[in-house]
Amino acid sequence: MAGPIVIAENLVKRFDKLTAVDGVSFTIEEGWIYGFLGPNGAGKSTTISMLSTYLDPTAGDAVIDGFSVAREANRVKRIIGFVPQDIALYPTLTAAQNLKFYGKMYGMRGPGLDNRCREMLELVELWDRRDDRVETFSGGMKRRINMAAGLLHHPRFLLLDEPTVGVDPQSREHIFETIFKIRESGTTILYTTHYMEEVELLCDYIAIVDKGKMIAQGTLKQLLAMLGEGGVIELEVAPPGCPAELVDRISRESGVTGVKHENEQLLVSSSNAAHSLPPVMRVLEEQGCEVSSLEIYSPNLERLFIHLTGKELRE
Amino acid sequence: MNPRKLFDIALKDLLVVGKDRGSWILLLITPLAIIMVASFALGPAFSGQLKSELLVTNHDPGQAAAELVSRLGGMEGLSVVTAGDEETTSLTIGDERYKAGLVIPADFTARVMSGQDTKLLVYVDPTDNVNRPFMVGMIDGIASRMSGIVASVRVAVEEVQKFAPQTDVNAVVADAVPMATKQMSANPPVDTEISNATGLQEVNMFDTQVPGYSVMFLLFGVMLGAEMLLEERDKGTLGRLMVAPVSRSSILGGKLVAQFVIAMAQMTILFSVGHFVFGMNLGNSLPGLVLIIAVTAFTATAGGLLLASVVRTRRQATSLGTLIVILMSALGGSWWPLSIVPGFMLVIGHFTINAWALDGINALIIKGQGFSAILIPAGVLFIYGAVCFAIGLKMFRFRGA
Repeated sequence: MAGPIVIAENLVKRFDKLTAVDGVSFTIEEGWIYGFLGPNGAGKSTTISMLSTYLDPTAGDAVIDGFSVAREANRVKRIIGFVPQDIALYPTLTAAQNLKFYGKMYGMRGPGLDNRCREMLELVELWDRRDDRVETFSGGMKRRINMAAGLLHHPRFLLLDEPTVGVDPQSREHIFETIFKIRESGTTILYTTHYMEEVELLCDYIAIVDKGKMIAQGTLKQLLAMLGEGGVIELEVAPPGCPAELVDRISRESGVTGVKHENEQLLVSSSNAAHSLPPVMRVLEEQGCEVSSLEIYSPNLERLFIHLTGKELRE
Repeated sequence: MNPRKLFDIALKDLLVVGKDRGSWILLLITPLAIIMVASFALGPAFSGQLKSELLVTNHDPGQAAAELVSRLGGMEGLSVVTAGDEETTSLTIGDERYKAGLVIPADFTARVMSGQDTKLLVYVDPTDNVNRPFMVGMIDGIASRMSGIVASVRVAVEEVQKFAPQTDVNAVVADAVPMATKQMSANPPVDTEISNATGLQEVNMFDTQVPGYSVMFLLFGVMLGAEMLLEERDKGTLGRLMVAPVSRSSILGGKLVAQFVIAMAQMTILFSVGHFVFGMNLGNSLPGLVLIIAVTAFTATAGGLLLASVVRTRRQATSLGTLIVILMSALGGSWWPLSIVPGFMLVIGHFTINAWALDGINALIIKGQGFSAILIPAGVLFIYGAVCFAIGLKMFRFRGA
């Protein structure tokens, strides 16, 4: 790794009384695909809008390749590529006309622009449709052209805001392939999504955001370790409200790495859930607790999100 | 501001509009269709070629009745059709053909010649405020003239009778009236001569309709431009431009240049079709015409920017824009000449772009005046546009709500 290309410190964005982003800090190393995972309204798009210079931060700053988004927006604009969540294309123009127009906005001209348009159309596998109006394309094809338009000027840092929203599985695969190719070319990517399987597949480093705050970040392995590497035992016990003594006793059992309880729900993280289950059940029995349901599952981001926020990712 | 990027943005907008059939329909096809319909429908009436038909039921075989019908038939803009009975005359008035009906009583000639009072019955359509005064005025005028001739002849004959008591007044009057009538027709003591006022010339309907509707649809065109600007904001293309290394002044400048070019092209095409296809007069000063059109296009473009600045959504732009364009067109003389409106409406009308634009265009096309005649309207329009432009630039929100 060549060092960080993005350093965001305490980014805040307020709209009147609403705080959309509340003190978010993170660092993105060059060459990473950095995932921003969170439900709708978590502040992902607002954060990406500040990094893209579309919105000015209310407080805090981010430095991209040495330039401040708050003070040196014009320098930042030349470094970044932005692929918005909306299909920001002109539907009555052809794919090639759209790309050439956006290329010109970055000062590209002549054969250089023509060649780059061809490269990008080939990258997103739409060269044979270059002279067709964008309005005739499927949703997935539009998203691919939308992505190509953000890559024309060789950005060092690419911001992808939910690029797979509303596309069919085949187009999603196309988009994933394209993203891997972009990374291979050395471009660093910030990828926002509310699909956990996408960040699991694509991202080197993941930040989980909710209600404008970053609630966890790390590699996938580091994040899942928060739940227990060997799995989680989820139980519903009666009577509700476990005594502190019970939690303490379970915590001391073999392999148990964490215990969390709320009302009737008891979550036991373990380095080996199957191994830890019998002693946990024995303790519950000794304490006179009745188990009404039991589930053992492998840790994943969806469970982690529930673990951290008490709600599902797609709520 | 980067002129090259500004030019690229303008070129892109022109390409987008050029590929949009809806824009072509609004900018050119609709105004041409309305101009043609309005000109062909109203042209004969305004040019005097249209004859209003008068249905006459004549119960009197006498000379005075025949003279009356003959004189009415000879009036410009009037055509006499004979009806069999009074009931038909009464029932037929108000349909699309006959504008009034006249019933001549059986004793009309006898009473007129003997100097007795008589009455002509005129049926009118009370809802027809255009033809009714004209028809009644025509009949009244001729009847008055006939009454005058008979009265003057009778007075003359009665004066003669004072010196020649054996004179049969009625017989002499009956003989003298036709002669007096003939004399007055051939050599009327009071005649009128119609002449065009200084500088004014004959116009065809397209001379008034093409400029009026062109200005109106120019405003609709810039309303479309305002919607396009808001659409770019809503659909994210404006946002994408804002994160590219392009200044906001280049973005807005490019879009306004495109709108101005579209407005100029629209006016040029409409005036060219008006001139080459419909024979519309272009006046004596082509530079003056180009200047007033250019200033109008600038002002309208600035108005479009102001519209895009004060509304929040495209829907609001469509609703408010349509209301403003229609009001401006009605008040500003796009639909009818401002010469027929009351004084206070004339003042109100001159708060619109249409009124000043048409003042300038009509000075050239209808009044045949020269370049200097458009300087005041062009100056007012330029100031109008500059104010709209300044406010629009200040208020325009690049980011949506």
